[in-house]
Amino acid sequence: MTVEAVQSRSGISPRAAVLAYIVVSGLVLLLMMLLGLTMRLAQAQWIDIQPDFFYMIMTMHGAGMVGIAGLSGAAVMWYFVRRHVPVSTAVFVANLVFFLIGAALILGSGFIGGFAAAWTFLFPLPAHSGELWSVNAAACYMVGLLFIGVGFLLLHLDIARGILVVYGGLGAALGVKQAFGLAPEDEGPPPAVTASTMVLIVNILGILLGAAVLVVSLVNLYVPSFTFNALLAKNMIYFFGHVFINATIYMAVIAVYEILPVFTHRKWKTNRAFYFAWVLSTVMVLTVYPHHLLMDFAMPTWALVAGQLISWLSGLPVLLVTAFGALTNVYRSGIKWTVASGLVFVGVAGWAIGVIPAIADGTIEVNSFMHNTQWVPGHFHTYLLLGMVAMFFGFMTYIVPKTTGALLPFGFWLYVGGGSIFVLSFLAAGSVSVPRRYAVHLPEWLPYDRVASVGATLAVLGALIMVLNFVIGLPSATREEADA
Amino acid sequence: MIQEVVWGVSIVLMGTLAAVFAWVAIGANVALADYRPVIASAYRLRTWLFGLAVIVLIAANYDTLGKLPYVSSMSASSSATATLPVEAVAEQWSWNIKPDAFRVGQTVEFHVTSTDVNHGFALYDPDMRIVAQTQAMPGYINVLRYTFNEPGVYRVLCLEYCGVGHHEMTAEIKVAAH
Repeated sequence: MTVEAVQSRSGISPRAAVLAYIVVSGLVLLLMMLLGLTMRLAQAQWIDIQPDFFYMIMTMHGAGMVGIAGLSGAAVMWYFVRRHVPVSTAVFVANLVFFLIGAALILGSGFIGGFAAAWTFLFPLPAHSGELWSVNAAACYMVGLLFIGVGFLLLHLDIARGILVVYGGLGAALGVKQAFGLAPEDEGPPPAVTASTMVLIVNILGILLGAAVLVVSLVNLYVPSFTFNALLAKNMIYFFGHVFINATIYMAVIAVYEILPVFTHRKWKTNRAFYFAWVLSTVMVLTVYPHHLLMDFAMPTWALVAGQLISWLSGLPVLLVTAFGALTNVYRSGIKWTVASGLVFVGVAGWAIGVIPAIADGTIEVNSFMHNTQWVPGHFHTYLLLGMVAMFFGFMTYIVPKTTGALLPFGFWLYVGGGSIFVLSFLAAGSVSVPRRYAVHLPEWLPYDRVASVGATLAVLGALIMVLNFVIGLPSATREEADA
Repeated sequence: MIQEVVWGVSIVLMGTLAAVFAWVAIGANVALADYRPVIASAYRLRTWLFGLAVIVLIAANYDTLGKLPYVSSMSASSSATATLPVEAVAEQWSWNIKPDAFRVGQTVEFHVTSTDVNHGFALYDPDMRIVAQTQAMPGYINVLRYTFNEPGVYRVLCLEYCGVGHHEMTAEIKVAAH
């Protein structure tokens, strides 16, 4: 089946657009990592910054990382799904423009306006700054997030349009019939299409609810008498946040499905278990969000119990389908490891390994002791730094046709080694009840912060090397004929 | 303490997964002539792993779901224990806890709320380990039941980010031996 890519009215080629996404993602990732490193150095008391500055960069780091995880994941997803369905380069570029506008507004709200309500903007905190930021700064942040959300909404809708043209329905594109044994496995959609379908279903819902609570928050900022139930707002925020950040991993894993087989010379098996895992994940990503609310005793108990049970179930597709699939794909394949293939393999490992602390914290009895300790960032940095971002870096390194020498593997090991030290420090600190999101730490917590700072520094250096490798290789990458 | 058990179990499981990935990665350079029998045994192994996972899942959830911290879920017999109600009100950036002195063996019910934004009521024991927590929400009262088994000075730390004074929002609770 031939697929005609919609010609971009802007004259930007699809490949150039993807490269632009990667450059922006790489640079913003580095900037956000530097903000994160600054936070850890401050907690370690190796540098001295004011608490209001700490909480502002904490807010910027959270928003920036979530946003860039979305952008970089979208680059991976779009690059591969357009081999199978017609998509609009103009819409893809528009998403980037919306993102940059939103990012500028968010950075302005923080660095100029002092907005520091954490990226989760938990209602009604943005309106209770304690004189630290103005209502306008808070509004600027929210409008920035809305811009980013609108961009992604457009992108997902455009991909949905393309998928519907080719597959006729979202169920067919998800492989629902294959999942339930009602159609032959080898007639199922390619992995990139299945993954993109799952992501657009969950993200359209997540973004809409996120946008709704942002608008509610915006009105409340300027009309304080317009109040909103804080528990309902919390539910909407965590539904949006959970769905959006998980979707970034489900977008990035497409890189694993597409890149690993190139190096192992073994096709990724899209069998009934594969499709079933994706159908299950679609449902579970949408329904597990109460695991962010386990200490909200005001919630109905059944919802919190469901949050625990679905958290546990969610580990099964990741471990027994994706991780298992990657391991069997690589096992005795004769692969000659490169940094690109190594990174996507690490990405699967990071995701699988991160399941353990995630499920632990998703258990109510454990959550009582570990909620909002550093166990929480320990878990999600394992998923993101060693999972999603590693997959993205693998894609980034794969796209550049020539690597630039021996420094690149060194960068890989710095990133993986430093990243491991960094996440383990978070988890260790959480196990001794060090709180998360504290600008000032007690003396007994400093050793954890100091080990973490060393790990983070190594990871930042590794990331810098890998991003530089891409940027240096960019001129030859743009000269390559479009291969997608 | 639960945290230490969880940390230990997590390290073992995470380490095992990492070792498996490393082992596969290291041995991957040597190609296998015929891959199909490997695939067949891999799928058999996966069926075993799935069965094991289901057993662990059922056991762990059955065990832990019997120990929910929600007072509404507690059995009638435990509700019959005499409990002392304690008011715990959070605001930017301090705690108002009345009363804040108890004796070993006393079971208290913290009625936790907030006058402004979300806060987190986290009870730390004299060794600075969390022993109980709940959210402090505006418009809601969350009931947290706890029995003091050790004497000493406990601390309440705010565990939900609430603005620039978040890290300074602490209070002390004194528990006497008798």
